[in-house]
Amino acid sequence: MMAAAENRDYECERMPRVTLGKAQWSDEQKAEFMRRRRARNFLLLAALGGFCLIVYVIALVKLHEYGQMW
Amino acid sequence: MANYAENLLSENAALVPHLGAEPADWLALLKPRVVSLVVFTGAIGLVIAPGHVNPLIAAIAIFCIALGAGAAGALNMWYDRDIDALMRRTSTRPIPAGKIEPGAALGYGLVLSVISVLLLAMATNLCAAAVLAVSIFYYAVIYTVWLKRHTPQNIVIGGGAGAFPPVIGWAAVTGQIGLLPMLLFLIVFFWTPPHFWSLSLYASTDYEKAGIPMLPVVKGARHTRWNVFGYTLILFALSLLPWMLGLAGRIYGLTALALGVVFIHYAWGVLRDAQDERGVSLSQDKPARAAFKFSILYLFLLFAACAVDRLI
Repeated sequence: MMAAAENRDYECERMPRVTLGKAQWSDEQKAEFMRRRRARNFLLLAALGGFCLIVYVIALVKLHEYGQMW
Repeated sequence: MANYAENLLSENAALVPHLGAEPADWLALLKPRVVSLVVFTGAIGLVIAPGHVNPLIAAIAIFCIALGAGAAGALNMWYDRDIDALMRRTSTRPIPAGKIEPGAALGYGLVLSVISVLLLAMATNLCAAAVLAVSIFYYAVIYTVWLKRHTPQNIVIGGGAGAFPPVIGWAAVTGQIGLLPMLLFLIVFFWTPPHFWSLSLYASTDYEKAGIPMLPVVKGARHTRWNVFGYTLILFALSLLPWMLGLAGRIYGLTALALGVVFIHYAWGVLRDAQDERGVSLSQDKPARAAFKFSILYLFLLFAACAVDRLI
């Protein structure tokens, strides 16, 4: 029961599955984990934005040059 | 072997808190150094192709080629994570280092593969996108899964994976596959063995440790030296074909001639290196290291000459 409760605490912070109940996290490590997760999220956002931009540019160029997408 | 690496990974994971990957780790998963050469040869394919393509579309096509090559690299790292952990050169890669989970790397590679092919189809044409898809499959499945661990000829046949970019670049402009890009494909195909076997001559202990049947491990160093020399001769003859068939001009022809002679000189150095009775180098493989470095310069200059020849 106790172990399950401890794991729930970790899950609340959404730590990676591989470390559940195995590693002791210091405050610095938690801060570093949050920083890396934020960087990853911004990177994903940028990638999605880039993808939309590329599709937009392709559509603009093709419609301008050929009058159709395909 | 695989179990040993998996145990090693899970032990490390238990001891070290998993802090998550840095953006640089995700970038490293795309093998940026390999991608740079792929981008270059793909761009040359675009430049030498007859016809006009909008510069924005050309830039997107090159980006898609890079993305596809990177995705194939990520899939390769996912599959090879067990043997990567055993080799000094590859043990610091994001998966064996415990920075990225294997499942995440697999998803990353698959998603990027699909996106690169779809974007290329949208930006250019189905022919270019199909060749890109084939090249990803060739590297991730034919080379990585079927050949690499099973035959000493792995990099001869697998060399095809790196040879596709000029064909993709050409197809992006023309919508079809011509004779010149096929010759460039063959040049990269036959360039790969002397390039890679020069490296494997002085990195064979790493491959041996991981159980990869590279030619020096299976057939010995002497046999590999002869193969480096033989493939360099074939490459020399092939590199002159575009000039002889009138598909490339004098600038390309003379450059191919000069570069080929120098490459043969380096390959001869590998063959005649001071060695013991098994063919193992007594000079710390200095000629093989020099041949490996020159092979990169060779391909770069040969393709650059092809583009210059077309532009002038």
